[in-house]
Amino acid sequence: MAPPVPEVTPELTVGVITAIASFLAVSILLGFFMRKKAKGFEEWLVGRGDIGPLITGFALVASYLSGWAIFGNAGLGYAYGWSGSWLIGTTCVMGMALCLVIGYRMRRYVALGARTVPEMLRVRFESRLVQALAGLAMIVLLMVYSVGQYKAMATVWTITTGTPFYGSLLATAVLILVYLAVGGYTGTQWVSGFQGVLLTVVGWALGIATLVWAGGPTKIVEAIGTQLFIKPGGVQTEIPLGDYTLPLPPLGGLAFPGVDYVGVTAAIFMFLFMATGFPHNIARFLGARKITKREYWMMLLILIVGGLTPLWIGVVGFAARAVWGGALMADEYNPMYGDSAAVYASISAGGVPLASLFAASVFAAAIASLAGMVMIMATNITRDLIHNTFPKASPKRLLGLTKLMLVPFIAIPLWWTFTSPPPILSEFMAGSAVAQAGIFFFVVGVSMYWKRATKWGATAATVYGLIITFFHPNAYGKLVGLYHWGYWALLLMFGSALVYLLISLATKPLPENKLNILFPERNH
Amino acid sequence: MKGVYVLLAVMALCFTLIPIVAYLFGGWFAYWGHALLAITFSVTVVLIRTRYYWEED
Repeated sequence: MAPPVPEVTPELTVGVITAIASFLAVSILLGFFMRKKAKGFEEWLVGRGDIGPLITGFALVASYLSGWAIFGNAGLGYAYGWSGSWLIGTTCVMGMALCLVIGYRMRRYVALGARTVPEMLRVRFESRLVQALAGLAMIVLLMVYSVGQYKAMATVWTITTGTPFYGSLLATAVLILVYLAVGGYTGTQWVSGFQGVLLTVVGWALGIATLVWAGGPTKIVEAIGTQLFIKPGGVQTEIPLGDYTLPLPPLGGLAFPGVDYVGVTAAIFMFLFMATGFPHNIARFLGARKITKREYWMMLLILIVGGLTPLWIGVVGFAARAVWGGALMADEYNPMYGDSAAVYASISAGGVPLASLFAASVFAAAIASLAGMVMIMATNITRDLIHNTFPKASPKRLLGLTKLMLVPFIAIPLWWTFTSPPPILSEFMAGSAVAQAGIFFFVVGVSMYWKRATKWGATAATVYGLIITFFHPNAYGKLVGLYHWGYWALLLMFGSALVYLLISLATKPLPENKLNILFPERNH
Repeated sequence: MKGVYVLLAVMALCFTLIPIVAYLFGGWFAYWGHALLAITFSVTVVLIRTRYYWEED
């Protein structure tokens, strides 16, 4: 007989609120301290370019490990068994290392005056159009990605405090507003560095604790081997969870990446490209200082340790499935379903201390990503659209306007989550991740190295990627017969790459003398 | 520069083996095997960067 799913206790509620409050206090203090050091709008955006490898490495971990990785991965493992692994990101370290290798060149563009990722594109292509278009694309895609962060935090709050889900959503929105209002988003690199350490330690601890709690690896394999897929709402199917593909019935089932090896291939490519393609990730290098080879290796070590955290969270989902079967897919867990697995498992496996720390970590991951994304969206408006159009606009006014723009970019994804919360958070977020990977890996990442890239290639790839994004199988794809996630994702990523390549080759690059500034000859 | 091609081949192999390992072995072996392949890929790409394409000297 399976042990019961744990109930909320007053001790748990107090523990969770204390842990979250402590985390917020440390983050805000760090942010406040760093804010004092910033002189003017430019420094407020990227600091003084003096951030070392340790902080940059952990900040990269924090911005990459959003609510998806530290929380949603358990939902994937729980709902889909081994086939959920493809979105858990067992290979995500690959993409993070690629981001480290590619992203470091952002420093060159900072030296040339870039302060945001779209500004880097303006410098690279001498084009305000590319800058503005990239800014707009980022707003659309990051908005979708923000929805997942809200669901992660609201689910934790609901389960641990007993507040209804929609009340929890409002509570988390208030917490975020407080966090941003008192300056938690400034000194982002330092705050994110702290958050990266926290969620790496807690993620590993929770994964190992639940592995033991569920009776060890062998028991988990045996238990998952006997489980059948259950749809959100509790409808049981005859599809076993024991394999790395889950042949869900067409047409609706084709929207799941693990449905077959076409979807699997697309998911692997997505994880290869997305760490570089995420603007909030690659932006971490804007404030980095010059580093040595030894420090480069140190950063890789941090990325490997941090990059294994999502796998440990996946383990939490497998363990929960092994212990509770498909109970959390029942209607009484609507709209949290399998996404609630991590919280319940943390309570059962580690009691109040681990559950409280885990709750704080989910907030850390979600807030780190959300704050980074909200900041990028706000500066997309002020820096990449307004300042782009009116270069003489006062820096003081731009800074004030950036702060004001934080409000709508917090409210819109909140409304979205309020009216239509996604059943499996990570599956939903993967849609935006594919688009960011497909567009920005090439337009931002490759353009820093490929001299022949042109502004028209970058523009065409961005427009193409945005259009295909709307044809996601769960959006408008059905209207044109695009039901398969794998085909859609490959069409987006490699279509963007092809458009970027062909249009670039067909159009004129910057003159050689200008390219020589962006691509100086190597000394050896 | 021959070394670069060897390292690139290692990266390609790591990438290709991911679905194959899942198909052939499954379970925990595939799960942590993927992580191991990803780590090997990562070490290789950083090796290429630091040994052959270092920019900060």
